[in-house]
Amino acid sequence: MRFFLFSVSVYLFFGCSSYYKNLSRTEVDHECLERIKPRPVSKSWYHASVDVFGKHLSGLLLIKPMADHSHRVVFSNESGITFFDFEFGSDGSFSVKRIIEQLDRRPVITTLKEDFELILGKPFLQPLTSWKHDNETYFGIENGRERIYFTTTDCKSLGRIEIGSRKKRKVSVSLVGDISSAPEGIIITHFTFPMTINLNKFENHVEE
Amino acid sequence: MKFPLHWLFLFFIFSSIVLASIEAWGQHQGFTEVKDIAGFKLQFRQSAVKVNSLKGEFAQEKTMAAITEKIRSRGTLWFKRDNKVRMDYTTPFLYKVVINGDRMAISDNNHETKVNAASNKLFQQINRIMIDCMQGTILDSKDFSSKVFENESRYLIELVPTAKNLKPFLSTIILTIDKKDHSPDAIELNEPSGDKTSIVLKNKSINGQLQDEVFSI
Repeated sequence: MRFFLFSVSVYLFFGCSSYYKNLSRTEVDHECLERIKPRPVSKSWYHASVDVFGKHLSGLLLIKPMADHSHRVVFSNESGITFFDFEFGSDGSFSVKRIIEQLDRRPVITTLKEDFELILGKPFLQPLTSWKHDNETYFGIENGRERIYFTTTDCKSLGRIEIGSRKKRKVSVSLVGDISSAPEGIIITHFTFPMTINLNKFENHVEE
Repeated sequence: MKFPLHWLFLFFIFSSIVLASIEAWGQHQGFTEVKDIAGFKLQFRQSAVKVNSLKGEFAQEKTMAAITEKIRSRGTLWFKRDNKVRMDYTTPFLYKVVINGDRMAISDNNHETKVNAASNKLFQQINRIMIDCMQGTILDSKDFSSKVFENESRYLIELVPTAKNLKPFLSTIILTIDKKDHSPDAIELNEPSGDKTSIVLKNKSINGQLQDEVFSI
């Protein structure tokens, strides 16, 4: 019983403690920052696998830089029907070009917008702040109650790209492979509700 | 200057014929419209029912109009009467969809999802479109209005959705049927945005032996 109470106390203590409690602000190492900063993904096709609230769906995701420096992110099912088409402008604007009725809900659009902005490196186009915890360096911004950042341990490779509320992580993005332009894999994990998006790159050999 | 009345009448008749021909030609080049839809339906129903099974390769191409992008995929398709369709996408990604009556199974990246299409109206309708296109019953669908065109070797069926929930996804479906054996040659799905997906069937084997296990869910 005493062990049980101790375990519960430990869980409550650490469970309620802030994920960011031990971060301390440091001076920005610009050389390190420029080396690992997430770059916008070049034109890539991904086979997408989405698990949300116990439901599974799959489809094809296209990320395409356009001539006007905007990015289009288009999701369709394998049979060709388009589910959504988002435009991320070079000036930070965002517009929904198309979305099916079933997904046309503000929380869904906001969540997907924030996820894809991380992949496109949009929040990191402005001056960034730096924090440290143990051997991990964080670069990012504080946006109201949120902190949007990416991490590194060696200044050679990118760790995670994340959004956190004041106390806890909301979403984490991991990139696999060539992270400078077109990662082979992208995993987006949400912590405030059960959603994971797995993207696996494939080659689409079609001449335009 | 005055035109005799019968000249004016002939002019209107002639103009109507020319305009109708231009319209039909513009819609589907090389095809003329079949006017006797009731007669066609009867004859089509009797002929299409002779296709009991089909196995073939398919080539799918999706064209995204607004962002000038195309994606091509390939795979194998199986059909067995009644109400069984399976499509295995093999290139450039792996994906499998099996429709067996009211049930549907989707496999991607070793993950299988089973759907009871009867419990979801949209799934049921999409399910039905595929089945109806394969077994030649699409002209009886209440979800679409239809027009039929023909040339020497093919029928072309143009379907416009009448069901409200299909309209945001589809503007038309164009189904091309081989006149020789009344099997489908191609299906084209057109979206209201201008995007389109065409699925062309090749190397078709009709009425060959096809085990029910191919469609097991």
